[in-house]
Amino acid sequence: MNGYLAFLKKEIFEYVKTYKLLIMLMVFTVFGITNPLIAKLLPEILESLINDKGIISLPEPTAYDAWTQFFKNATQIGLIVMVILFSGVLSSELSKGTLINLLTKGLSRTAVILSKYTCMVLVWTKSIALCFVLTYGYTVYLFPKDETSNLLFSVFCLWLFGLFLLSALLFSAALTKSNYGCMLITGIVVVACMIMNIISSVHKYNPISLATDNMGLIMNSIEVSSLYSAIMISCLLSLIFVSLSVVIFQKKPL
Amino acid sequence: MGVLEIKQLYKRFGHHEVLKGLDMDVPEHSIFGFVGQNGAGKTTTMKIILGLLKPDSGSVTVCGEKATYGGSKTNRNIGFLPDVPEFYGYMTPMEYLKLCGEITGLTKSKIKSKSEELLELVGLKGEKKKISGFSRGMKQRLGIAQALLNEPKLLICDEPTSALDPVGRKEILDILLAAKGKTTIVFSTHILSDVEKICDRIAILHGGKLALCGTLSEIKERRRHNGFVLEFENEKDASSFENAEELKQPSIGLSRNENTVTVLLPDHDMDGHLLLSVLSQKRIVPLKFEVMEPTLESLFMEVVQ
Amino acid sequence: MDWVMLKEYLPFLIPLVIAQFTLSITALIHVLRHPNYRFGNKVMWVLVVMFIQFIGPALYFALGRGEE
Repeated sequence: MNGYLAFLKKEIFEYVKTYKLLIMLMVFTVFGITNPLIAKLLPEILESLINDKGIISLPEPTAYDAWTQFFKNATQIGLIVMVILFSGVLSSELSKGTLINLLTKGLSRTAVILSKYTCMVLVWTKSIALCFVLTYGYTVYLFPKDETSNLLFSVFCLWLFGLFLLSALLFSAALTKSNYGCMLITGIVVVACMIMNIISSVHKYNPISLATDNMGLIMNSIEVSSLYSAIMISCLLSLIFVSLSVVIFQKKPL
Repeated sequence: MGVLEIKQLYKRFGHHEVLKGLDMDVPEHSIFGFVGQNGAGKTTTMKIILGLLKPDSGSVTVCGEKATYGGSKTNRNIGFLPDVPEFYGYMTPMEYLKLCGEITGLTKSKIKSKSEELLELVGLKGEKKKISGFSRGMKQRLGIAQALLNEPKLLICDEPTSALDPVGRKEILDILLAAKGKTTIVFSTHILSDVEKICDRIAILHGGKLALCGTLSEIKERRRHNGFVLEFENEKDASSFENAEELKQPSIGLSRNENTVTVLLPDHDMDGHLLLSVLSQKRIVPLKFEVMEPTLESLFMEVVQ
Repeated sequence: MDWVMLKEYLPFLIPLVIAQFTLSITALIHVLRHPNYRFGNKVMWVLVVMFIQFIGPALYFALGRGEE
């Protein structure tokens, strides 16, 4: 427990000092602000571009457009930035040998893995929360009349998908030596989920539903209860990935 | 009972068998020189002791507790200094020692006092620079400080002096000597003069086993009587001594360099009396009659060949 | 854009500008104080950090920042 807390503190300190936290927060801040803005401006920009013909008039933008931007940016760019930033989570320490000192001080390897996961989860939670608050505030300001449903639940699903992705990332990091290998395996996990999604009966249990069904939830075209299985599976898989990481890392020669 | 006991340790990497039944026993409060050529398996042995590598068979006991691979329970009694210690470059020495202290579970006030004391010992007191700006020698000294932080019963240093210049080397050796009273030190090296300076026990690792083990004086004593150096007044005396019938045995090694003759006797039953009797028989009085002190280097070469 | 529109978007522009400035200036200070980079030189990174919005500083911290 001592080791876990001390190492967690070190991890947070490291993300601050190496500007990784700053980059994450800034990326998500910019998304948070621009999501509603782009939703508002996009029709105007498009109209000014095709105005010469003057035939097409685009529908008025709504809050849904802002949230579409939110989920698109957060899942596509936000998660990718996160995976790239965290891909060196173990490899940077292993290649430099900075862990050896601490392990020979009696720090347990389980504590290393768990505190690394905790710290990544904290950074992700902070980032997505910041992005959500900003998008929410500006959406209410720009589109005060529009109502959305299941908003918090939908964001919760995305957050949970982030947790699943991070556990896959940690598992990949424990499996490989380099951060590229880590990115590759994480990518393979995501692609595998996407491919499985083609089979419609799998969709219900697929973790990736948590990142693809968000708009459906907000527009009430998807039932909240239809995602329960996917939530269960994601939690279970995350748990398995983290446990596997611990087991693999335990047996890794340093 | 020793602080560290190693029994029948075997380890192979692929087809290369590094350790072939290593037995070692380190008694308390000694500075134990662990000598061997590059690639003899010194680092491998240390990593197994620390649970960073898995031995093929054999056991390691630290302070009466068995060390296990992947575990770190026995490590609380050990301080380790890697050959090239690596730290988090964005921390200052104080911050790093604080992290180490928190991991070992020391109290806040204890960490503070201990850190200051150790930084003073290694000459890094008041260093506000980040570790990334440190020189090799400074990192090595900080490495010793972090290794001593939890007041270990056993301090293991992997080639602490190999990468340093003579000044840095002397500093490290002095620090190790200063730490001697508090802990047992095992330190690996291939620099024999360092061993001679500070170690009271040595072990030479060769061919995956200990080829030689004991206190420095014991080992030297064991081989003392074998060599003699005789210096004569002129070349005539020297050659007459060299060609004496009694010394014409295949097991006796003779070599002459101008007026100096070196005699190597094969075993302990033959001693200097034989040479003295030859001298008196030939009525030669040598200028100098000297028992050859075996140097660690000659011992090492002998063992390794 | 006319004045009315600008006023409407001011609540967006101010935070964005603040974010951009914080990022730029943090990165600029770091560039000037740690003059060793994984690639490129000081002039290049100063320009990148100052004139490429958001992405410039992010690129610097993620890729260009050398070991201190």
